[in-house]
Amino acid sequence: MPEPLLEVSNLTLDYDLGNRKMRALDKVSFSLNRGEVLGVAGESGCGKSTLGLAIVRLLPRVAEIRRGEIIFDGRDLLKLSEEEMEQEIRGQKITMIFQNPQNALNPVFKIETQMITILRVQDRYQNSGKRKRRRDYRQQAIERLRSTGIADPSERISNYPFEFSGGMKQRVMIGMALSSGTSLLLADEATTALDVTIGAQINRLITNLAAEHGTAILYISHDLGILSEIADRIMIMYAGRIFEMGPTEAILGSPRHPYSVALLESLPGRQIRGKRLLSIPGFVPPLDRLPSGCSFHPRCRFAEPMCSQQVPPFIEVSKGHWSSCLLDQIRGRQKWQWA
Amino acid sequence: MAVGLMQIKNLKTYFFQGKGLLSKFVGRGLRIVHAVDGVSLTIKRGRTFGLVGESGCGKSTLGQTIFRLVEPVGGEIIFKGRDVLKMDQDKLMQFYQTAQLIFQDQLGCMNPRMTVGEIIAEPIKMHQPKHHRHQGITQQVADLLKAVNLDPEASVKFPHQLSGGQARRIGVARAIALNPDFIVADEPTSGLDISTAATILNLMQDLQEQMGLTYLWISHNLNQVRYMSDDMAVMYLGKIVEMGRTRDVFDRMAHPYTKALISAVPRVSTGHRKQRIILEGEIPSPINPPSGCYFRTRCPQVFKRCDQEAPPLIDLGGGHFCACHLNDLH
Repeated sequence: MPEPLLEVSNLTLDYDLGNRKMRALDKVSFSLNRGEVLGVAGESGCGKSTLGLAIVRLLPRVAEIRRGEIIFDGRDLLKLSEEEMEQEIRGQKITMIFQNPQNALNPVFKIETQMITILRVQDRYQNSGKRKRRRDYRQQAIERLRSTGIADPSERISNYPFEFSGGMKQRVMIGMALSSGTSLLLADEATTALDVTIGAQINRLITNLAAEHGTAILYISHDLGILSEIADRIMIMYAGRIFEMGPTEAILGSPRHPYSVALLESLPGRQIRGKRLLSIPGFVPPLDRLPSGCSFHPRCRFAEPMCSQQVPPFIEVSKGHWSSCLLDQIRGRQKWQWA
Repeated sequence: MAVGLMQIKNLKTYFFQGKGLLSKFVGRGLRIVHAVDGVSLTIKRGRTFGLVGESGCGKSTLGQTIFRLVEPVGGEIIFKGRDVLKMDQDKLMQFYQTAQLIFQDQLGCMNPRMTVGEIIAEPIKMHQPKHHRHQGITQQVADLLKAVNLDPEASVKFPHQLSGGQARRIGVARAIALNPDFIVADEPTSGLDISTAATILNLMQDLQEQMGLTYLWISHNLNQVRYMSDDMAVMYLGKIVEMGRTRDVFDRMAHPYTKALISAVPRVSTGHRKQRIILEGEIPSPINPPSGCYFRTRCPQVFKRCDQEAPPLIDLGGGHFCACHLNDLH
């Protein structure tokens, strides 16, 4: 059994807005091995982005971590000083790419300047010794752009971000993100803003680079189709809790939680023309007014009185497949027929 | 037999860049963006016509041209026997009552200082001043809100208080306020959660059934177009490369671009991950499109003839059209 690269246990996090306390993550536990792709899915407001930001500790000031550990490579990230985070972890061993590359690049600097800055910083902390010359960094930056598939990188590197298309900007972000020391990549809706054809290119690029370097990926996306294609395991989140987690084939092929089933049924890709899509009644509850018991029970068609009284435990239902539905646990395997 | 509600013939919408004084001095000359470049299609009454393509292919411009929000340089748009492009102001106002456009960014289309009720009432007041009696209009707004499954009390809310899904519903409510026959929906569910998107799709299907609506459904989401539409067209750089009944296009896709586009769509599957065709490069600039076939720069099956002549859109049989030289080979 390989030792996991990342082990999150019991992570509980509140957004404290004075009069409102919102529980954004509630006892989140999972692990991620080297070279593995873990997909995180759920509706907006379920805490998937918060989870990514918590791992690199880029949370807004109102966020407070109540409990839990984030063990990365043998060290608890929550116990590191801000300095250690910056010098050793963030942008070095753990890197991120976000949904909107436009907002992640500074519009007034050339791609060249921005990439060289990153390379310098990465270099300073990784091989603290010889400082290279700008020319060498530039060459290195060009190589990175080339490896992400940008045509004619030695020319394009002196462009400004606005001269790049969305797909190319995302490539630049990946080029910046993947340094030699990176062992975990957090991709938060990395292809949502892109066309399908470009999105497919970017996803192929991310998974290839990860396979080459053995990088683990936490891939956050609401698109179960993408996760079906690139993830080894999938984690379904709802209102700050993990509802179901397991190998991709198990989650998509034989889901155990009614919420997972509902998400799959509401995709138009699976339904034939004319058949109604499932739409889950109601909304994701506001995080400061979570329902008692199972937080999904007001929207769940199969809910019974006990669902509102008891918080369901997260139990391994078959090997590596975890789920948190009381009914499933007590009555045994159910066929959740929403329609 | 379904009849054509709208027929678009050889429609061309160009944008001109560099007409200004500055570019005269800089001397870059006039550059023409061929946004819609000779599109012909027929939208059948009571059906849904899906229009797909990557961003920048001209699908939204086509939708806007139908309403003359952008003036085309040539072509015809025949709606119920009349050419929209030749209508005068009065006729155009009548056309706007029977045809409506739902924009992608619904919140951006709403005046932040108006309440939802006022927003929905606006087209009614504008086009049917006879009904402009306060009592009647409040009732009408409440009915419309109910029709899109919203609480009538929502009419006192302001746009910033709405969620994404609610905003889309208000957009739909406003579009059906005048009882139209034809709705152009431009990316009606982009940016919504899966489950919320499903409610919008269900709603639009219900309304189509109840009101006999015809849709032009513009989307980059092929799964959605497959699910929603009866007929469809695939656009690339302002031209239609493949068109036909949705079933035919998906089952017997003939154009390499359609194949790549469909192959690139992530689908939930538990079996083997299929071999995907991933296109290299990006959509070329519509200012200087490639010679011959526009798709040849990215086409995996390109051959000699492709850079010399543009392939015509030909009927492969049964109203399934495709513009590709490969079709001549078999």
